[in-house]
Amino acid sequence: MLLKDAKILIGDDSILARKQLMDLLTSMGATKFIEAVNGKDAVEKYITDKPDLVFLDIVMPIKDGITAVQEIIAENPQATIIIVSSVGTQQQLKAALEAGAKDFIQKPLKPAQIQNIIATIYD
Amino acid sequence: MFTQFFGGFLLSKGVVTPEQLVAAMNKQPSAHIQLGMLAMHAGLMTAEQIDEVKIAQTHTDKRFGEICVDKGFLTDAQVDKLLHDQFPSYLLLGQILEENGVFDKRTFQDLIHEYTSEHSIDEESIVIENSDAVKSIITDYCKDMDSSNKTFLIEYVQLLANNLIRFIGDDFTLLPPVKNHYKLTEKYSNQRITGPYQLTSIIDMSAETAISFASRYVSEKFDNFNEYVQASMEDFLNLHNGLFNVNISNYYSVELNLEAPVSGESTEESNRDGSYLFSALYPFGTVNIIISEK
Repeated sequence: MLLKDAKILIGDDSILARKQLMDLLTSMGATKFIEAVNGKDAVEKYITDKPDLVFLDIVMPIKDGITAVQEIIAENPQATIIIVSSVGTQQQLKAALEAGAKDFIQKPLKPAQIQNIIATIYD
Repeated sequence: MFTQFFGGFLLSKGVVTPEQLVAAMNKQPSAHIQLGMLAMHAGLMTAEQIDEVKIAQTHTDKRFGEICVDKGFLTDAQVDKLLHDQFPSYLLLGQILEENGVFDKRTFQDLIHEYTSEHSIDEESIVIENSDAVKSIITDYCKDMDSSNKTFLIEYVQLLANNLIRFIGDDFTLLPPVKNHYKLTEKYSNQRITGPYQLTSIIDMSAETAISFASRYVSEKFDNFNEYVQASMEDFLNLHNGLFNVNISNYYSVELNLEAPVSGESTEESNRDGSYLFSALYPFGTVNIIISEK
Protein backbone atom coordinates (compact mmCIF):
# COMPACT_ATOMS: atom_id res chain seq x y z
CA MET A 1 0.00 0.00 0.00
CA LEU A 2 1.14 3.55 -0.73
CA LEU A 3 1.08 6.29 1.89
CA LYS A 4 -1.37 8.32 -0.18
CA ASP A 5 -3.91 5.49 0.05
CA ALA A 6 -3.39 4.80 3.75
CA LYS A 7 -6.07 5.75 6.26
CA ILE A 8 -4.28 7.35 9.20
CA LEU A 9 -5.85 7.77 12.63
CA ILE A 10 -4.37 10.49 14.83
CA GLY A 11 -5.40 10.38 18.49
CA ASP A 12 -4.33 13.41 20.51
CA ASP A 13 -6.34 15.73 22.74
CA SER A 14 -4.39 18.70 21.36
CA ILE A 15 -5.87 20.11 18.16
CA LEU A 16 -2.48 21.70 17.55
CA ALA A 17 -0.59 18.41 17.87
CA ARG A 18 -3.06 16.73 15.49
CA LYS A 19 -2.69 19.54 12.95
CA GLN A 20 1.12 19.51 13.13
CA LEU A 21 1.27 15.77 12.57
CA MET A 22 -1.30 15.92 9.75
CA ASP A 23 0.61 18.76 8.06
CA LEU A 24 3.80 16.76 8.26
CA LEU A 25 2.24 13.58 6.92
CA THR A 26 0.45 15.52 4.18
CA SER A 27 3.79 16.97 3.08
CA MET A 28 4.99 13.38 2.75
CA GLY A 29 2.04 12.37 0.58
CA ALA A 30 -0.65 11.18 3.01
CA THR A 31 -4.21 12.18 2.13
CA LYS A 32 -6.64 10.33 4.40
CA PHE A 33 -6.94 11.25 8.06
CA ILE A 34 -9.23 10.42 10.94
CA GLU A 35 -8.95 12.53 14.10
CA ALA A 36 -9.65 11.35 17.64
CA VAL A 37 -9.66 13.67 20.65
CA ASN A 38 -8.98 11.10 23.41
CA GLY A 39 -8.19 7.42 23.91
CA LYS A 40 -11.82 6.33 23.97
CA ASP A 41 -12.56 8.22 20.76
CA ALA A 42 -9.48 6.64 19.16
CA VAL A 43 -10.54 3.08 20.02
CA GLU A 44 -14.09 3.69 18.74
CA LYS A 45 -12.84 5.22 15.50
CA TYR A 46 -10.33 2.41 15.06
CA ILE A 47 -13.16 -0.13 15.22
CA THR A 48 -15.48 1.76 12.86
CA ASP A 49 -12.97 3.17 10.36
CA LYS A 50 -10.30 0.43 10.41
CA PRO A 51 -7.32 2.72 9.70
CA ASP A 52 -4.03 1.39 8.32
CA LEU A 53 -1.81 3.39 10.63
CA VAL A 54 -2.40 4.90 14.09
CA PHE A 55 -0.57 7.69 15.91
CA LEU A 56 -1.48 8.04 19.59
CA ASP A 57 -0.56 10.44 22.36
CA ILE A 58 -0.23 8.96 25.87
CA VAL A 59 -1.54 11.72 28.14
CA MET A 60 -5.17 12.14 27.11
CA PRO A 61 -8.40 12.65 29.03
CA ILE A 62 -11.05 9.91 29.50
CA LYS A 63 -8.75 7.14 28.30
CA ASP A 64 -4.96 7.33 28.07
CA GLY A 65 -2.92 6.25 25.07
CA ILE A 66 -1.46 3.07 26.58
CA THR A 67 -4.95 1.74 27.43
CA ALA A 68 -6.08 2.68 23.93
CA VAL A 69 -3.15 0.70 22.44
CA GLN A 70 -4.14 -2.34 24.51
CA GLU A 71 -7.76 -2.15 23.35
CA ILE A 72 -6.86 -1.60 19.69
CA ILE A 73 -4.41 -4.53 19.78
CA ALA A 74 -7.14 -6.68 21.38
CA GLU A 75 -9.29 -5.78 18.38
CA ASN A 76 -6.51 -6.30 15.84
CA PRO A 77 -3.16 -7.78 16.97
CA GLN A 78 -1.62 -6.64 13.65
CA ALA A 79 -2.49 -2.95 14.15
CA THR A 80 0.35 -0.53 13.39
CA ILE A 81 0.40 1.95 16.24
CA ILE A 82 3.02 4.65 16.85
CA ILE A 83 3.08 6.52 20.16
CA VAL A 84 3.85 10.24 20.01
CA SER A 85 4.32 11.67 23.49
CA SER A 86 6.13 14.28 25.55
CA VAL A 87 6.57 11.70 28.32
CA GLY A 88 9.24 9.47 26.84
CA THR A 89 10.39 7.83 30.04
CA GLN A 90 11.78 4.30 29.94
CA GLN A 91 8.72 3.16 31.86
CA GLN A 92 6.29 4.68 29.36
CA LEU A 93 8.32 3.37 26.43
CA LYS A 94 8.26 -0.13 27.93
CA ALA A 95 4.53 0.08 28.67
CA ALA A 96 3.78 1.25 25.12
CA LEU A 97 5.84 -1.47 23.46
CA GLU A 98 4.47 -4.17 25.78
CA ALA A 99 0.95 -2.99 24.95
CA GLY A 100 1.73 -3.54 21.28
CA ALA A 101 2.91 -0.17 19.91
CA LYS A 102 5.44 -0.47 17.09
CA ASP A 103 7.39 2.67 17.86
CA PHE A 104 7.66 5.63 20.21
CA ILE A 105 8.37 9.22 19.25
CA GLN A 106 9.36 11.78 21.87
CA LYS A 107 7.80 15.24 21.42
CA PRO A 108 8.62 17.85 20.21
CA LEU A 109 8.07 16.31 16.79
CA LYS A 110 11.06 16.13 14.53
CA PRO A 111 10.15 15.61 10.85
CA ALA A 112 13.05 13.18 10.35
CA GLN A 113 11.67 10.80 12.98
CA ILE A 114 8.28 10.63 11.26
CA GLN A 115 9.93 10.29 7.85
CA ASN A 116 12.04 7.37 9.08
CA ILE A 117 9.02 5.58 10.49
CA ILE A 118 6.93 6.17 7.38
CA ALA A 119 9.83 4.97 5.21
CA THR A 120 10.04 1.75 7.25
CA ILE A 121 6.34 1.05 6.88
CA TYR A 122 5.66 2.20 3.31
CA ASP A 123 8.90 1.61 1.38
CA MET B 1 20.40 31.70 30.64
CA PHE B 2 22.45 34.44 32.38
CA THR B 3 20.54 37.20 30.61
CA GLN B 4 17.08 35.93 31.62
CA PHE B 5 18.07 36.05 35.28
CA PHE B 6 20.10 39.26 34.99
CA GLY B 7 16.87 41.26 34.52
CA GLY B 8 15.48 39.74 37.70
CA PHE B 9 18.75 40.54 39.45
CA LEU B 10 18.46 44.21 38.41
CA LEU B 11 14.85 44.32 39.59
CA SER B 12 15.74 42.77 42.93
CA LYS B 13 18.43 45.44 43.38
CA GLY B 14 15.77 48.09 42.74
CA VAL B 15 17.81 49.73 39.98
CA VAL B 16 15.21 49.23 37.22
CA THR B 17 11.43 49.03 36.93
CA PRO B 18 9.73 46.30 34.90
CA GLU B 19 8.68 48.99 32.37
CA GLN B 20 12.28 50.16 31.90
CA LEU B 21 13.39 46.58 31.50
CA VAL B 22 10.80 45.79 28.82
CA ALA B 23 11.60 49.03 26.98
CA ALA B 24 15.29 48.01 26.91
CA MET B 25 14.45 44.46 25.82
CA ASN B 26 12.45 45.86 22.90
CA LYS B 27 15.53 47.72 21.68
CA GLN B 28 17.83 44.68 21.94
CA PRO B 29 17.28 43.23 18.44
CA SER B 30 18.47 46.41 16.70
CA ALA B 31 21.19 47.40 19.19
CA HIS B 32 24.91 46.74 18.84
CA ILE B 33 27.32 46.19 21.65
CA GLN B 34 29.97 48.85 22.08
CA LEU B 35 33.66 48.09 22.41
CA GLY B 36 33.79 50.11 25.62
CA MET B 37 31.17 47.93 27.23
CA LEU B 38 33.09 44.79 26.22
CA ALA B 39 36.31 46.23 27.65
CA MET B 40 34.59 47.19 30.89
CA HIS B 41 33.06 43.71 31.19
CA ALA B 42 36.47 42.12 30.63
CA GLY B 43 37.89 44.33 33.38
CA LEU B 44 40.24 46.06 30.93
CA MET B 45 38.75 49.55 31.20
CA THR B 46 36.90 51.54 33.81
CA ALA B 47 33.71 53.55 33.29
CA GLU B 48 35.75 56.74 33.64
CA GLN B 49 38.22 55.68 30.93
CA ILE B 50 35.34 54.89 28.56
CA ASP B 51 33.90 58.37 29.11
CA GLU B 52 37.34 59.87 28.51
CA VAL B 53 37.64 58.05 25.16
CA LYS B 54 34.11 59.10 24.18
CA ILE B 55 34.96 62.74 24.81
CA ALA B 56 38.19 62.36 22.83
CA GLN B 57 36.16 60.85 20.00
CA THR B 58 34.27 64.12 19.55
CA HIS B 59 37.54 65.91 18.69
CA THR B 60 38.88 63.41 16.17
CA ASP B 61 37.60 61.07 13.46
CA LYS B 62 39.45 58.12 14.97
CA ARG B 63 37.55 55.02 16.00
CA PHE B 64 36.90 54.16 19.62
CA GLY B 65 39.39 51.28 19.57
CA GLU B 66 42.15 53.36 18.03
CA ILE B 67 41.83 56.04 20.72
CA CYS B 68 41.90 53.35 23.43
CA VAL B 69 45.18 52.08 21.97
CA ASP B 70 46.59 55.62 21.65
CA LYS B 71 45.81 56.30 25.29
CA GLY B 72 47.29 53.00 26.37
CA PHE B 73 44.03 51.62 27.77
CA LEU B 74 44.03 48.66 25.38
CA THR B 75 46.49 46.96 23.04
CA ASP B 76 45.66 46.17 19.41
CA ALA B 77 45.52 42.50 20.32
CA GLN B 78 43.03 43.19 23.12
CA VAL B 79 40.79 45.24 20.78
CA ASP B 80 40.86 42.42 18.28
CA LYS B 81 40.07 39.79 20.92
CA LEU B 82 37.19 41.81 22.40
CA LEU B 83 35.62 42.28 18.99
CA HIS B 84 35.82 38.60 18.14
CA ASP B 85 35.01 36.90 21.42
CA GLN B 86 31.46 35.92 22.32
CA PHE B 87 29.81 38.18 24.88
CA PRO B 88 26.83 37.61 27.15
CA SER B 89 23.65 39.29 25.92
CA TYR B 90 22.98 40.75 29.38
CA LEU B 91 25.78 43.15 28.54
CA LEU B 92 23.75 44.56 25.66
CA LEU B 93 20.71 44.84 27.90
CA GLY B 94 22.77 46.79 30.44
CA GLN B 95 24.23 49.03 27.73
CA ILE B 96 20.73 49.98 26.53
CA LEU B 97 19.60 50.68 30.11
CA GLU B 98 22.66 52.89 30.56
CA GLU B 99 21.95 54.69 27.27
CA ASN B 100 18.35 55.17 28.40
CA GLY B 101 19.65 56.87 31.53
CA VAL B 102 18.33 54.22 33.92
CA PHE B 103 21.74 53.98 35.60
CA ASP B 104 25.25 55.23 34.86
CA LYS B 105 28.23 53.24 33.62
CA ARG B 106 29.87 53.14 37.03
CA THR B 107 26.76 51.60 38.59
CA PHE B 108 26.53 49.11 35.75
CA GLN B 109 30.19 48.19 36.22
CA ASP B 110 29.50 47.45 39.89
CA LEU B 111 26.35 45.49 39.06
CA ILE B 112 28.15 43.32 36.52
CA HIS B 113 30.89 42.65 39.02
CA GLU B 114 28.37 41.68 41.70
CA TYR B 115 26.34 39.47 39.35
CA THR B 116 29.28 37.61 37.84
CA SER B 117 31.12 37.08 41.12
CA GLU B 118 27.97 35.97 42.98
CA HIS B 119 27.51 33.18 40.46
CA SER B 120 31.13 32.55 39.43
CA ILE B 121 30.39 33.51 35.84
CA ASP B 122 33.72 33.63 34.04
CA GLU B 123 34.75 33.95 30.40
CA GLU B 124 34.48 30.22 29.82
CA SER B 125 31.05 29.85 31.39
CA ILE B 126 29.69 32.60 29.13
CA VAL B 127 30.70 30.68 26.04
CA ILE B 128 29.46 27.26 27.09
CA GLU B 129 26.89 28.35 29.70
CA ASN B 130 28.83 26.44 32.32
CA SER B 131 26.40 24.21 34.17
CA ASP B 132 27.75 25.04 37.64
CA ALA B 133 27.24 28.76 37.04
CA VAL B 134 23.73 28.17 35.66
CA LYS B 135 22.89 25.92 38.60
CA SER B 136 24.14 28.60 40.97
CA ILE B 137 21.82 31.19 39.41
CA ILE B 138 18.80 28.88 39.53
CA THR B 139 19.55 27.78 43.10
CA ASP B 140 19.85 31.40 44.15
CA TYR B 141 16.62 32.24 42.32
CA CYS B 142 14.82 29.46 44.24
CA LYS B 143 16.50 30.12 47.60
CA ASP B 144 13.40 31.45 49.40
CA MET B 145 11.07 28.77 48.05
CA ASP B 146 9.74 26.05 50.33
CA SER B 147 9.50 22.63 48.76
CA SER B 148 8.96 18.99 49.62
CA ASN B 149 11.85 18.29 47.25
CA LYS B 150 14.08 21.26 46.53
CA THR B 151 16.22 19.32 44.05
CA PHE B 152 13.18 18.55 41.87
CA LEU B 153 11.90 22.09 42.21
CA ILE B 154 15.21 23.52 41.02
CA GLU B 155 15.19 21.04 38.11
CA TYR B 156 11.67 22.21 37.27
CA VAL B 157 12.58 25.90 37.25
CA GLN B 158 15.79 25.34 35.29
CA LEU B 159 13.95 23.29 32.67
CA LEU B 160 11.21 25.93 32.51
CA ALA B 161 13.76 28.64 31.73
CA ASN B 162 15.38 26.36 29.14
CA ASN B 163 12.07 25.51 27.51
CA LEU B 164 11.01 29.14 27.31
CA ILE B 165 14.35 29.88 25.62
CA ARG B 166 14.07 26.85 23.34
CA PHE B 167 10.43 27.11 22.27
CA ILE B 168 9.43 30.78 22.69
CA GLY B 169 12.64 32.81 22.59
CA ASP B 170 15.46 33.99 24.80
CA ASP B 171 14.37 37.65 24.95
CA PHE B 172 12.73 37.48 28.37
CA THR B 173 13.46 38.31 31.95
CA LEU B 174 12.26 36.02 34.71
CA LEU B 175 10.98 38.05 37.64
CA PRO B 176 11.68 36.80 41.17
CA PRO B 177 9.11 34.21 42.38
CA VAL B 178 6.05 35.55 44.18
CA LYS B 179 4.89 33.37 47.06
CA ASN B 180 1.30 32.56 48.06
CA HIS B 181 -0.39 35.06 45.79
CA TYR B 182 -1.37 35.28 42.16
CA LYS B 183 -4.10 36.70 40.00
CA LEU B 184 -4.91 35.01 36.74
CA THR B 185 -4.76 37.36 33.75
CA GLU B 186 -7.27 35.85 31.34
CA LYS B 187 -6.42 32.65 29.47
CA TYR B 188 -4.92 29.69 31.25
CA SER B 189 -4.04 26.01 30.98
CA ASN B 190 -3.21 23.84 33.94
CA GLN B 191 -1.80 20.37 34.44
CA ARG B 192 -1.04 18.11 37.36
CA ILE B 193 2.01 15.98 37.91
CA THR B 194 1.26 13.10 40.26
CA GLY B 195 3.25 10.33 41.89
CA PRO B 196 6.08 10.53 44.44
CA TYR B 197 6.44 14.26 43.64
CA GLN B 198 3.24 16.23 43.10
CA LEU B 199 2.94 19.55 41.38
CA THR B 200 0.15 21.58 39.83
CA SER B 201 1.27 23.98 37.12
CA ILE B 202 -0.64 26.77 35.41
CA ILE B 203 0.37 28.84 32.41
CA ASP B 204 -1.53 32.12 32.23
CA MET B 205 -1.49 35.21 30.05
CA SER B 206 -3.74 37.71 28.31
CA ALA B 207 -5.39 36.72 25.03
CA GLU B 208 -3.24 39.25 23.21
CA THR B 209 -0.04 37.85 24.71
CA ALA B 210 -1.22 34.31 23.94
CA ILE B 211 -1.53 35.19 20.23
CA SER B 212 2.14 36.26 20.10
CA PHE B 213 3.16 33.31 22.33
CA ALA B 214 1.46 30.84 19.97
CA SER B 215 2.89 32.52 16.87
CA ARG B 216 6.37 31.95 18.26
CA TYR B 217 5.66 28.45 19.55
CA VAL B 218 4.19 27.17 16.28
CA SER B 219 6.25 29.45 13.98
CA GLU B 220 3.04 30.50 12.30
CA LYS B 221 1.33 33.88 12.51
CA PHE B 222 -1.96 34.07 14.40
CA ASP B 223 -4.10 37.22 14.25
CA ASN B 224 -6.77 36.38 16.80
CA PHE B 225 -7.29 34.13 19.79
CA ASN B 226 -8.57 30.79 18.50
CA GLU B 227 -8.45 27.12 19.45
CA TYR B 228 -4.94 26.73 18.04
CA VAL B 229 -3.68 29.59 20.20
CA GLN B 230 -5.26 28.04 23.28
CA ALA B 231 -3.82 24.66 22.28
CA SER B 232 -0.35 26.21 22.00
CA MET B 233 -0.44 27.22 25.66
CA GLU B 234 -1.64 23.76 26.62
CA ASP B 235 0.89 22.06 24.38
CA PHE B 236 3.80 24.07 25.77
CA LEU B 237 2.83 23.21 29.34
CA ASN B 238 2.32 19.55 28.47
CA LEU B 239 5.63 19.38 26.65
CA HIS B 240 7.48 21.08 29.49
CA ASN B 241 5.93 18.84 32.15
CA GLY B 242 6.51 15.76 30.01
CA LEU B 243 10.19 16.60 29.59
CA PHE B 244 10.42 17.25 33.34
CA ASN B 245 9.05 13.77 34.03
CA VAL B 246 11.56 12.32 31.56
CA ASN B 247 14.47 14.12 33.29
CA ILE B 248 13.34 13.01 36.75
CA SER B 249 13.02 9.44 35.51
CA ASN B 250 16.42 9.50 33.76
CA TYR B 251 18.46 11.26 36.45
CA TYR B 252 16.73 10.22 39.69
CA SER B 253 14.91 6.98 38.71
CA VAL B 254 11.66 8.42 40.03
CA GLU B 255 8.58 7.78 37.90
CA LEU B 256 5.99 10.56 37.78
CA ASN B 257 2.64 10.69 36.04
CA LEU B 258 1.00 13.43 34.07
CA GLU B 259 -2.68 14.23 33.86
CA ALA B 260 -4.24 15.72 30.74
CA PRO B 261 -4.07 19.54 30.71
CA VAL B 262 -7.21 21.61 31.14
CA SER B 263 -7.72 25.09 29.67
CA GLY B 264 -10.06 27.94 30.39
CA GLU B 265 -10.55 31.59 31.10
CA SER B 266 -10.30 33.19 34.52
CA THR B 267 -9.22 36.33 36.35
CA GLU B 268 -9.40 34.61 39.72
CA GLU B 269 -7.20 35.94 42.51
CA SER B 270 -5.70 33.38 44.86
CA ASN B 271 -3.78 33.38 48.10
CA ARG B 272 -3.08 29.69 47.87
CA ASP B 273 -0.55 28.65 50.46
CA GLY B 274 2.55 27.16 48.85
CA SER B 275 1.97 28.60 45.38
CA TYR B 276 4.69 30.39 43.44
CA LEU B 277 4.22 32.74 40.53
CA PHE B 278 7.00 33.12 37.95
CA SER B 279 6.51 35.90 35.45
CA ALA B 280 8.52 35.91 32.25
CA LEU B 281 8.56 39.41 30.78
CA TYR B 282 8.71 39.17 26.99
CA PRO B 283 8.57 42.19 24.68
CA PHE B 284 5.15 40.93 23.51
CA GLY B 285 3.71 40.52 27.03
CA THR B 286 3.97 38.67 30.30
CA VAL B 287 3.83 34.88 30.46
CA ASN B 288 2.95 33.67 33.95
CA ILE B 289 3.71 30.22 35.27
CA ILE B 290 2.23 29.29 38.62
CA ILE B 291 3.23 26.16 40.47
CA SER B 292 2.02 24.61 43.66
CA GLU B 293 3.09 21.41 45.33
CA LYS B 294 -0.10 21.29 47.40
